[in-house]
Amino acid sequence: MSTEQVNTNNTSTKHLSVKRYLPDNSAESYWQEYELPVDDSTSLLDALNHIKEQLDSTLSYRWSCRMAICGSCGVMVNGIPKLGCKTFLRDYEGDIRIEPLSHFPVQRDLVVDMAIFLEHLAAVKPYLIDDNPAKPYDPTAPETYQQSPEQLARYKQFANCINCGLCYSACPQFGLNPEFLGPAALTLAHRYNLDSRDHGKKQRMAELNRHEGVWSCTFVGFCSKVCPKNVDPAAAVNQGKVEAAKHTLIALFKG
Amino acid sequence: MNKHKPQHELQHKQAFDEPLWWGLFSAGGVCFAVLLPAVILFIAVLLPLGLLPANALNYERASALLFSVPGFLFVGAVICLPLFHAAHRLRHGLFDISVGSDALNKKLMYGGAALLSVFALGLVIAGMLS
Ligand code: SF4
Ligand code: FES
Repeated sequence: MSTEQVNTNNTSTKHLSVKRYLPDNSAESYWQEYELPVDDSTSLLDALNHIKEQLDSTLSYRWSCRMAICGSCGVMVNGIPKLGCKTFLRDYEGDIRIEPLSHFPVQRDLVVDMAIFLEHLAAVKPYLIDDNPAKPYDPTAPETYQQSPEQLARYKQFANCINCGLCYSACPQFGLNPEFLGPAALTLAHRYNLDSRDHGKKQRMAELNRHEGVWSCTFVGFCSKVCPKNVDPAAAVNQGKVEAAKHTLIALFKG
Repeated sequence: MNKHKPQHELQHKQAFDEPLWWGLFSAGGVCFAVLLPAVILFIAVLLPLGLLPANALNYERASALLFSVPGFLFVGAVICLPLFHAAHRLRHGLFDISVGSDALNKKLMYGGAALLSVFALGLVIAGMLS
């Protein structure tokens, strides 16, 4: 298909309702309607850019990469968390309702405050711990960072997270209790626990085996449905429950 | 912010009971799915309809089966574990609809399941001893 064909295919006018919140003007949020030309290749992010450039420069939203890798363009589309750049208006009929991501404090229009999510990510120590026991420049040191394809395969899927936070908007338990570490943080913990180079599992288990760790999850599974990178956080959290149970048993026997 | 808390404080907040509840919930779920349909089919459908041989579960046979070690295990798998499964679901369901406090719900639900379990297993033991 040539680019020209894509661009001119099925050009039509679509209706977008955007939930606006401008704290400088009013403490209340309100719905604003926009009509805009779209075709088969128009993503929701393209549409928001069109609004900002052509119709209403006061609209605020986040984006950067426009290719589903930076994770900054998450919004609710008809109540479902989606990446704006990976969502195409051709897939929607009728009114399309755009809101900021659920369960996060709204700062302005579609921009939310993700601080608590970042705190939860940091809490699980998402980095290799004691991966290299050798001192720097030690000539007798073993070769570091060696990993077989099988060892890589154990955690690879869980390493694809782009920290978009869609799974937090999908998670009713995070909605009820923001102290819950949540899908992505628990998945990241599991990803490092499964990494053959890592030795930090014990430290992470102390975080995971709390009420606000894996045990707040009730296996709703919506996180895995909305994840744009097929990370399957629900599977990771439930494997984390098995690990936390083992950790507790071991702790009991060791006293 | 948990990342600033020292290790002993984290240790303090460890949920040592949750693995137990979750383990009972999981085991109960398996029993629910695998055993209960068959049990209901035989005891609650086929037997009352008279579709089983007449003395397959007459009084002597049934009490001999029940008041034995296998009978004890049967009650554990068909009554006690599913009770804990249901208790876990109820506790989380109550939290989901914001009813009561989780600490109290936990005691009520698991306590109820434990009480009914002790009662059921106690009946079997009493039958075995008599
Ligand atoms: S697990 Fe998926 S939905 Fe959740 S933050 Fe990572 S990429 Fe986004
Ligand atoms: S703009 Fe980067 S993920 Fe959508």
